[in-house]
Amino acid sequence: MWFEDFQIGERHEIGDYTFTEDEMIAFAKKYDPQSFHVDPEAAKQSIFGGLIASGWLTVAVWMKVMTAHHTPEAKGLAISPGFEDLRWHKPVRPGTTLFFSTEITGKTDLKSRPHMGLVLNRNEARDQDGTLYMSIVTKVLREKKGTAA
Amino acid sequence: MALLHFEDFSPGQKLALDGRYAVTAEEIVAFAREYDPQPHHLDDEAAKKTVLGGLAASGWHVCAMAMRLIVDGLVGKAAAQGAAGVEECRWLKPVRPGDVLRLELEVLETRAPTSRADIGFVKIRWDVFNQNERVAMMISAPMFLRRT
Repeated sequence: MWFEDFQIGERHEIGDYTFTEDEMIAFAKKYDPQSFHVDPEAAKQSIFGGLIASGWLTVAVWMKVMTAHHTPEAKGLAISPGFEDLRWHKPVRPGTTLFFSTEITGKTDLKSRPHMGLVLNRNEARDQDGTLYMSIVTKVLREKKGTAA
Repeated sequence: MALLHFEDFSPGQKLALDGRYAVTAEEIVAFAREYDPQPHHLDDEAAKKTVLGGLAASGWHVCAMAMRLIVDGLVGKAAAQGAAGVEECRWLKPVRPGDVLRLELEVLETRAPTSRADIGFVKIRWDVFNQNERVAMMISAPMFLRRT
């Protein structure tokens, strides 16, 4: 896929994922060992009233779903300079299934890299009732046609 | 030690955390296999053919490692009440096997909402340095803290 192939407004449902208590605890023990992410009993006493996923697990799972969705059509390397406006709207609890979507919201040329452009996507994670759990604006560098080295 | 509360933070305040995170090839590959299976995060040979020039950690993995440094160095010492998101993240340098990461924090903004007497927002900039004193990742993120 080239920079020119991405169209603003293009939207895809990219897949779903069910979070388990085991994965939530294993991830948080390594990367985010706060009591409400690792200890179901202690979590009951927290402001969340029970175990919730680390927000970093939720966004890592988005990436997992995204890479699975993109693999067949991805052409070339997708390098990202970063992201913005990551929001954890609602806590993710064991057994929650989230449905992920991605929509192209912007395209910009790069003065510093004339052979590349930046594609912006707004990505969302919602449950089966449509309640929003996470949103994030991601940025990916894409090569322009005919300029590849 | 008394926990740090909202009132203990003020704009411009800086804090260098003591923790260090030693990055290994095994962990880079294990994280990427699970959550970000792209060739430049999985295979050194394949990664050499990309602009990254060699195996590099997934940016999400770098976020996760930085979070661990924050939890160990700050969250445990503060009356932290979680976070609702990240305003901005920039991946500035590849993070590679053998890198040792550390974190410097700077308070950008503090705000006590009128709607809640018990909670305050503190917006913090995270600079993740590697062992060569280069900033590999920058994040700005608000966190919630209890007020005294």
